[in-house]
Amino acid sequence: MSTRTRTNRFLLQALAVTLAVLALAPFLWLLVMSFKTNAEIFRFPPRLFFEATLDNYAHLWTSEFRRSFSNSLIVATATTFLSLLVGVPAAYALSRWTAPGGNAITLWILASRMAPPIAFTIPYFLVYRHLELLDTLAGLVVIYLTFNLSLVIWMMRPFYDQLPRSLEEAAWIDGATMWQGFYRIILPLSGPGLAATAILCFLFAWNDFFFALILTRTEAMTAPVAVVNFMNYEGWEWGRIAAGGTMIMLPVLVFSFIVRKYLVHGLTGGALKG
Amino acid sequence: MRRQHRFFVWCVAPSLAVLALITLLPSLYLLVTSFTQLNLTRPETQWDFSQPFESYRQILADSRLHHSLWVQAKLSFWTVLLQVLIGLLLALLLNMRSGLIEALRTVFLIPMVLPPIVVAIIWKVIYTPDISPMHGIFRAIGWNVPALITDPNWALTAIIIADTWEWFPFTMLMVLAALQMMPQEILDAAKVDGATPLQLTFYITLPFLQGVLLVAGLFRLIDSIKAFPLIFILTDGGPGNVTEVTNYYSYLQAFNFSFLGFSSAITIALLAASVALSWLIVRVVGWGVRVD
Repeated sequence: MSTRTRTNRFLLQALAVTLAVLALAPFLWLLVMSFKTNAEIFRFPPRLFFEATLDNYAHLWTSEFRRSFSNSLIVATATTFLSLLVGVPAAYALSRWTAPGGNAITLWILASRMAPPIAFTIPYFLVYRHLELLDTLAGLVVIYLTFNLSLVIWMMRPFYDQLPRSLEEAAWIDGATMWQGFYRIILPLSGPGLAATAILCFLFAWNDFFFALILTRTEAMTAPVAVVNFMNYEGWEWGRIAAGGTMIMLPVLVFSFIVRKYLVHGLTGGALKG
Repeated sequence: MRRQHRFFVWCVAPSLAVLALITLLPSLYLLVTSFTQLNLTRPETQWDFSQPFESYRQILADSRLHHSLWVQAKLSFWTVLLQVLIGLLLALLLNMRSGLIEALRTVFLIPMVLPPIVVAIIWKVIYTPDISPMHGIFRAIGWNVPALITDPNWALTAIIIADTWEWFPFTMLMVLAALQMMPQEILDAAKVDGATPLQLTFYITLPFLQGVLLVAGLFRLIDSIKAFPLIFILTDGGPGNVTEVTNYYSYLQAFNFSFLGFSSAITIALLAASVALSWLIVRVVGWGVRVD
């Protein structure tokens, strides 16, 4: 490698690092803010070494936010489980067998994923009022299926496409039923795909703000909506807002890191492989 | 063979039934509601179909709605353009083999994977002069910069900046994925023929990326129609209604003013737009036809 290309390479890497720091600065600022006292938050220029405090987190832990946080966990877990339970067999079948009307189904599923959330919110809101599902965890779990079920089908199908048919055919010859062939042979082999899909389902439900904003009030309020309420009712408690935001994003960052290979796939509703 | 067929039908049926119940039925209900003048404060309006097209007539007459379409067009145009451009440039920059760069690729993904509400909070902090590091710096160097989100001239720009920050990683990631599939032989052949890096980019890489840029742009375009948390947290559609996009206006009509009938009609139009764009994606990607 000539000196010139090496210098170029170094400059490009330096540029990339600079841009990364710039791009991340807003995010890091919020993270640091969550450990500051109110006085420290309003200080400019900020001190690099300030006395970090966990007060903001402690306050969250003793407030209603704790329940919202567990609501988020419950709803996201339940909807993930249900989507997988219903969607995985469908993904398997669609991989092995050409369903009639395939193209229309494709468009339907992509469109239901791309539709503006308000298109579902209005009818759900009206129906939930009658079914008394407003402000319930069950109501949220159902509406989250609208995006997660299609996600499961289109995430999992390519995984099954990659598994040779001879696997389950051998099992059938040995006398296994079709169900056993799927359950005992195919399902365990698709473990990594299942894990990635489950994580993405969890994240999409966890990140939702709009549905929870409209369909919950107090009982079933999720963490993203609860954080926003720190802005409205209790004045502007920046430390707590930052701490709440950090608590919401930490699980997301950890999980996203695990599934980063599948992010494009998940975000485009399975239209593209990442 | 018949046993197989029956098994597969039983595998697919629950999913289709559930999807029909939770997506198709609500869409139809939305359509039905759009033919009423449903107002939550007047329950008798729920099944009143005496003037089925009144909401659609209002759509043509409502100047605030037309203004929101214009705001939407500006927001969509700038965010899609900037995201595609920045995503492309970053992907080209990050497309080299080195441990450091590969780590950076992951770092750049962070804005996109953050929960949208956290992104909104982050930018609320940055745009609030009292606590904003950005405004702190401006003050320190003697610039008098107004609070962007409360200034009618700057509010939409503020939203565009925040939205671009949130979603440039998406186009970056898609372009990077495409770059990895680029046939190396063509590049090598061009290099042997003495092409400069700039020529390589313009005559080989960019034409190769056309397709993925189009698809990434389309996905961002659809998503830009749905922009909500940023607007809700940063500006609430204001000041005045300079950041009130159509989706947000529809939300206000339904859940602030209780005009669900009118809002349903607007939403039907939005839904139609996103279905049309999805159809375009299916056409472009040729997706649904089995690839493997």
